[in-house]
Amino acid sequence: MTTAVVAGLGSWLPPRVVSNDDLSRRLGTSAEWIEARTGIRHRRVVEPGMSTADLAAQAGQRALKSAGMDGAGALVLATTTPDYLCPATGPEVASRLGLTGIPAMDVGAVCTGFVYALATGAGLIGIGLADRVLVIGADTFTTILDPHDRTTTAIFGDGAGAVVLRAGEPGEPGALGPFDLGSDGELAELIQIPAGGSRQRSTGVPAAPADHYFQMQGKPVFKQAVVRMTGSARAALDRAGWRTGEVDRFVGHQANARILAALAEQLGLPADRIVRNIDSVGNTAAASIPLALADAAGSGQLRPGHKVLLSAFGGGLTWGSTTLLWPDPSTI
Amino acid sequence: MNDLLSRVAVLLTTRFGVPKEEFGADVTLADLDLDSLSLVEFGLVAEKEFGVQIGEDEISPKDTVEDLVRLIADKGVAA
Repeated sequence: MTTAVVAGLGSWLPPRVVSNDDLSRRLGTSAEWIEARTGIRHRRVVEPGMSTADLAAQAGQRALKSAGMDGAGALVLATTTPDYLCPATGPEVASRLGLTGIPAMDVGAVCTGFVYALATGAGLIGIGLADRVLVIGADTFTTILDPHDRTTTAIFGDGAGAVVLRAGEPGEPGALGPFDLGSDGELAELIQIPAGGSRQRSTGVPAAPADHYFQMQGKPVFKQAVVRMTGSARAALDRAGWRTGEVDRFVGHQANARILAALAEQLGLPADRIVRNIDSVGNTAAASIPLALADAAGSGQLRPGHKVLLSAFGGGLTWGSTTLLWPDPSTI
Repeated sequence: MNDLLSRVAVLLTTRFGVPKEEFGADVTLADLDLDSLSLVEFGLVAEKEFGVQIGEDEISPKDTVEDLVRLIADKGVAA
């Protein structure tokens, strides 16, 4: 049976650093309040004119280089902040990487986007469409935030991360395990940009300015994130035939340090198995998991042979999890 | 101190960093440094501990420990 194997990893962050102090004056709060509520100390933010495609191309190029490959047979880009409402951003990223002609698409599952894109990439390999797929998670969430809304502006940052998947065998280093993916559209209003889409445009009535910004209902989202990621992570473990105690590293969506702590408690995972980089990048939406993987691989937190559990949650609502045997760095 | 109040005291002091000397039935949750997200976290823990669901809007940092105990008791947990 063909399976998808991680063969390369790359990430990219815009150079501009925004600290809690920088935000606190504008948001009418303190740097300490932001850190206590979120675990975030600073985040990266794009320069004027820099777009999601710019970040995605940088991360994609680095992932291909790490895989020792100069191309891929397909590209899947997870994003909620495409360069344009139409067309998708994936084809532009493919062309900028010299891959004009390959199938390229966007996957929209908000902060679960990267896990959905991994599953899509693995599926493209499974059906024989491509032997190598570049899967990128990239978002410029700071471009859709109300600059005076502290419940969102304090949390999100910009960034991109990518992996190259290749066709391989189950159980080999880098092999992805079975996926668990899910959604609940009945709770779509918990995480939403109300205006700009067909729902609002078809009314013919101009939207309130605030409705063009990303909106999130903090408390119910917090609870749903913990409950859904816990259930999904357990389902992915069951399908992989792994016990919770076997998990060496848990790489969850870096939404909020307190969500990660609550997840660890619900799953019964000790704190030293939880990968965390939210303090330095914030919530980077679809880029969150590959950025956390790159950070943990770079710092030695992830070691060859580690059993890794990935889990994400986002607007939709959507959630998803999978397992991964961490490969030898010399092979990626 | 009744049983339920004792159980809540144990949860808040061991899992939520509330100093024992500051704990009391008439103290507000905000005075114990519990913010609205802490109460969501408490709800998740309470679901396991007491087998009851606490909605996000049923308790606020302005409420007292006694209000929290009463809420749990009203959901059928023996005080």
